Amino acid sequence: MRGLVAGLMAFAVFFIVQAGVFHFVKISRRALAIVGLWIAGLPVYAWFYTWLPDDRAVWPVELAAPSDSITVLSGGLLYFFLFMGYAQFFYMAESSVGVRTMIELASEVENGLTLEELTQRYRYDWMLDRRLRRMIHAGYLIEEDGWHRTTNRGRLAAAILARCKRILCLGPGG
Amino acid sequence: MLKGLVLASAGFAIFLVVHILLFRLRVPTRRFRAMVRMIFALGVLLIALHRLTPSDLGFLPFEYTTAGWAIDLLNGLLVYGFLFIGYCMFYFLIDRGFSGRMMIEIESSPQRRLRPSEIAARYSLEMVLRRRLNEMLEIGRITELNGRYQNTAKGRSAAAMFSFVKRFLQLGEGG
Repeated sequence: MRGLVAGLMAFAVFFIVQAGVFHFVKISRRALAIVGLWIAGLPVYAWFYTWLPDDRAVWPVELAAPSDSITVLSGGLLYFFLFMGYAQFFYMAESSVGVRTMIELASEVENGLTLEELTQRYRYDWMLDRRLRRMIHAGYLIEEDGWHRTTNRGRLAAAILARCKRILCLGPGG
Repeated sequence: MLKGLVLASAGFAIFLVVHILLFRLRVPTRRFRAMVRMIFALGVLLIALHRLTPSDLGFLPFEYTTAGWAIDLLNGLLVYGFLFIGYCMFYFLIDRGFSGRMMIEIESSPQRRLRPSEIAARYSLEMVLRRRLNEMLEIGRITELNGRYQNTAKGRSAAAMFSFVKRFLQLGEGG
């Protein structure tokens, strides 16, 4: 339990700090900020782990594990996986087209919206431009005279994604 | 606690194999639901195996087998569950990632380069929205009547929760 409790406490600290920072400061490079805060939480995990007592002093025998490398690893994995799960939620809130669509529909509770009305509310050029800029910034695309082409990194990512789509028979997707 | 980790890793590896085979042999109509059912069924099997097998699984070093069975199982289930959540992130990136689709479109174009207007022509907003609307209809987040889409109670709750998160974290209108 020592590792798991330390991992959970470290994630709680990360979550509160991240929410506070994003609430009070307008962050432009969100991915960098969120990963940076998670990395800064690693020493916090180590501190919590050191601070917590050995399992056998606190927990019943069924829930007690020796304070060995597997326990440290397990807590670290929990801290990592909780972050991954939160990142999924964060990017869903930030970028999901489905979420944005539900929010648009929520503004028309009585009559709802048709596909055409949704299309008018959603600025496709803005949405496309936002994603293109993000991919250029991340080094997946290069823009030259209004043309966009993939970098080596982008080509590799596109090839992996296309291969995975084929393996799982997912169609073009997007 | 190594037994739980070994069983969780093996369980997730079996899930991946079954998932790939199922999707290749007979694509389920509700893909994500099929994945959740698979991971759940294998999770039940994992619990049964954990209770029925010896703490060293016949090959683990003794020093890693001294943890209580409950913490070992809990740790294994956490890792198993989170491996699935992590995989879901990857799966949705492959299946729905708009940015990934743009890179694939650019790569498959004759000159391997496209202007934004050409990307929009290959994958229009209408196509993007239609796909999302169909998915949300399937999972009961919205309803459709005479071409008009409305949130269900579930959709309204999700919209309210995400609106709050967007406002609180200053994420902008997004999408």
